[in-house]
Amino acid sequence: MSILMASVGFGLITSAVLTIAAVGFTLQFAVTDVLNLAFAAVMTAGAFVAYWVNQLGASIWLGLVVAMIACSVLSVALNLGVYAPFQRRGSSPITIVIVSLGMALIIEFGIEAIVGGINVSYKMSQGGTLRSGGLILTTVQLTIIAISLVVMAGAHSLLRYTKLGKTMRATAANRSLARNCGIRTGRVITFTWALTGALCGLAGTVFAIDVGSFGPTSTDLFVVLILAAVFLGGPGHAYGAMLGAVLIGLATEVSAAYIAPDYKYVIAFVALLATLAVRPSGLLGART
Amino acid sequence: MYYLITLVVYGAVDVIACLGLSLQFGISGVTNFGYIIFQAAGAYVAAILALPAESANGGFQHYVGGFDLPFPVPWVGAAVAGAVLALPFTFLVGRRLRGDFAAVGLLVTAVLLNLLVMNFVPLFNGDAGLAIVPAPMQSGVMTDTSNSYQWEFAVGVVALAAAVFWFIRHITESPYGRALRAMRDNDKVADSLGQNLLSLRTGTLVVGGAIAGLSGGVLVTFISVWSPAAWTYAETIVLFAAVIIGGRGNHVGAVLGAVLVPVGFEESTRLITNANPSLPPNLLPSLQWVAIGLLIAAFLWLRPAGILSERRRLIALPAQSLQAPVHAQQAPPEPDRAAVPDQAAVPDQAAAADRPAATDRTAVADRLAAPDEAAPVVQAGPRDEQTAAPTADAAGQHADVVLQAIGVSREFGGVHAVSGASLSITRGTLTGLIGPNGAGKSTLLALLAGTDRVSAGTIRYQGQDVTNVPAFRRARLGLVRTFQLASEFKRLTVLENLLSAAPGNRGAGFLGAAAGRRYWRADEAAAIAKAADILRKFGLESLANSYAGDLSGGQRRLVEIMRALMTEPRMLLLDEPMAGVHPELARRIGDQLVGLCRDGMTILMVEHELAIMDEFCDPVIVMAEGSMLAQGTMAQLRDRTEVVEAYLVG
Repeated sequence: MSILMASVGFGLITSAVLTIAAVGFTLQFAVTDVLNLAFAAVMTAGAFVAYWVNQLGASIWLGLVVAMIACSVLSVALNLGVYAPFQRRGSSPITIVIVSLGMALIIEFGIEAIVGGINVSYKMSQGGTLRSGGLILTTVQLTIIAISLVVMAGAHSLLRYTKLGKTMRATAANRSLARNCGIRTGRVITFTWALTGALCGLAGTVFAIDVGSFGPTSTDLFVVLILAAVFLGGPGHAYGAMLGAVLIGLATEVSAAYIAPDYKYVIAFVALLATLAVRPSGLLGART
Repeated sequence: MYYLITLVVYGAVDVIACLGLSLQFGISGVTNFGYIIFQAAGAYVAAILALPAESANGGFQHYVGGFDLPFPVPWVGAAVAGAVLALPFTFLVGRRLRGDFAAVGLLVTAVLLNLLVMNFVPLFNGDAGLAIVPAPMQSGVMTDTSNSYQWEFAVGVVALAAAVFWFIRHITESPYGRALRAMRDNDKVADSLGQNLLSLRTGTLVVGGAIAGLSGGVLVTFISVWSPAAWTYAETIVLFAAVIIGGRGNHVGAVLGAVLVPVGFEESTRLITNANPSLPPNLLPSLQWVAIGLLIAAFLWLRPAGILSERRRLIALPAQSLQAPVHAQQAPPEPDRAAVPDQAAVPDQAAAADRPAATDRTAVADRLAAPDEAAPVVQAGPRDEQTAAPTADAAGQHADVVLQAIGVSREFGGVHAVSGASLSITRGTLTGLIGPNGAGKSTLLALLAGTDRVSAGTIRYQGQDVTNVPAFRRARLGLVRTFQLASEFKRLTVLENLLSAAPGNRGAGFLGAAAGRRYWRADEAAAIAKAADILRKFGLESLANSYAGDLSGGQRRLVEIMRALMTEPRMLLLDEPMAGVHPELARRIGDQLVGLCRDGMTILMVEHELAIMDEFCDPVIVMAEGSMLAQGTMAQLRDRTEVVEAYLVG
């Protein structure tokens, strides 16, 4: 019982981190049409930006905000400098995926060249602990969960109630038609990179807070979880990504408690392959 | 000396690996981001086949088996392991999944399998990997004392790489290779022309997997250790970088890339490290990865074809005179034909000569080669007869129904693109299908051809229920479609586009291609002769060896129609074949189509241009809001108010 509750607690935090990343990834893919495999590398960049701010003596929460801004700028730059030119030239989706892998290598190993192959941690207090029915969570962990809930609510409001969100959905559904309807798709796409980049920086920093100690290649496996969550929910669907993130986060941590921690990614992997094989449009995607 | 030998062996192993990737990525367009798995699996199997039982070395490492088998069993086993491992992955690259999604699946598989192997001691000895793998024909590991043996090993591996090069070339420079390249350029269209994508991709994965496995097996018996840390997904990216930089679809390019990227990088960093021992240990490997990322992006931007771009496959057309006697013999049976088309044909020929003049000097030159006006006319008639010969008896059975749709529907997330549409197409007719935008014409065509699945309803073709028959099988039954949007295989020549659709070529399968040119030469020659005939009929023979992607819009439409004709269809579904085509050329296409129908073919054609419907199509079917509104001749339809309201006015 207590093992189950403890693993559910871990699962909730993993789900929370994963939701932020998965919503960012899936919105990016839906609106910009770039399956950006450099997403996790940008997360790492954000985590290190927060680390440097933290090293200067500032609170990690200030570092988190700086990381969001930095990743937002980096993502917009990636699009304007790399992906958008390739798309304008009419490169195939697979070419852009390969380019994004190249970008992942540049960012990830660029960081490693700067910081070396060492792992670092933030200087921060974990705060008090809160116990409830077998669940034990620290204040920091509760904060991560709260941030995640805010992100979900924010994504929902943006897509549902704002004009900007509607133009994003229109651009995602059919870019040329949206343009012909008077939507400035170029701006919408740049905004999407800025927004999802900020989410990416946020996810990177809370990921680093959650794992405690991180290095330049720490997100290599986390990207598997992101992809599993995104594809399970249906690529391009914000709500699907939320559902997928919660399912994958809980499933990996709970299974880790009962099978072996080393194999906790396997369940995400199986979920991803099963989705691709059986229902490529995901749980919430349209049946084809 | 040992250094040089190591370099040669590593180079040869990388060449073998890149050749497998060249087949998968360069020729077939399968982006296998999990390629390294196949190499690693081959290496592991080679190791356990060569190693003695666990207890022989004191049992300090765990592995399956330990068979102590003599050379070349470990290498063969490595190739077999790579091939067998490919089978479970075929579901990822099958017919339905987008290429980039499949690539993501394979990438994740590579990451996860590496993680599993690192953690699973009983089977793979965990992250320690396997050591003291015996070398071929040696009792133990290779030591650097026996220099002559190492040279022999190196020469042997280079010879093996050459053999792999020959083999890959052998199977890809064939009708099979052409089918793979057609699939790479446009898989959906290849499917609609009768290519079995699942079997083509399975073949690619299995053969590429075997080659990857072989390269891993060779490497492991040379370095005598198998370490999971050496087989990370990032290594796949190095191989991709090599193929992209060397030249996609060019096997010599793959060899060049293998020498430049993996070998070049390893060696350059070794030299720099040796020169500056004070550098931080992690800096150079990191920068090496950064450089590979930069190289991939830079090459894809500046030179997407790579250093050595794909070679254009030039095929000489047989001389026209060879076919003249055949025409002469077949000319007499239908004397009445010449009279009608001739009048249309003379101005058309003249107009067609005008049309390409601006863009295409060679086409004009060909026309000039025909000395007098009469010649093209005489040719135009008899060539139709040649197509007629096999199906001439069909003329007596005009009344029977070839294709039938009964209550067919297709929904896209609540939108009824086609709802309860029914039609019957009679043999030998050129039926027109018109309707306002969004009426569901193209969707209906896709349902009839099987490139899209019905939500409800039945489709019968020649009395057979084909509702659940996939597109490529329908194409093989003679039910073939063309597409509204340009769908030529861009990096195939016009002639190759046509040849890729020729049915029944013995070299079109893997085994046929492996059997060699002599086995399929006759079929290929027959297909070329037929393609040449069709090309001449449409006046495009001068462009036979141009890349289809370089043609004008109208010429591409022609390529598509010609390619569909190459499949020897009984029932042809054309989606706006004359859109964007010069009106004179459109009329010439129309004449050809009428001729084909007279010879027994049946055609259903979507077209917006009512003048074309007036001139060529009978009957004409009107579609609106997903179902049939009316059917009749254009004259009859003009008298019906609901048709006029739905379409003809608006």
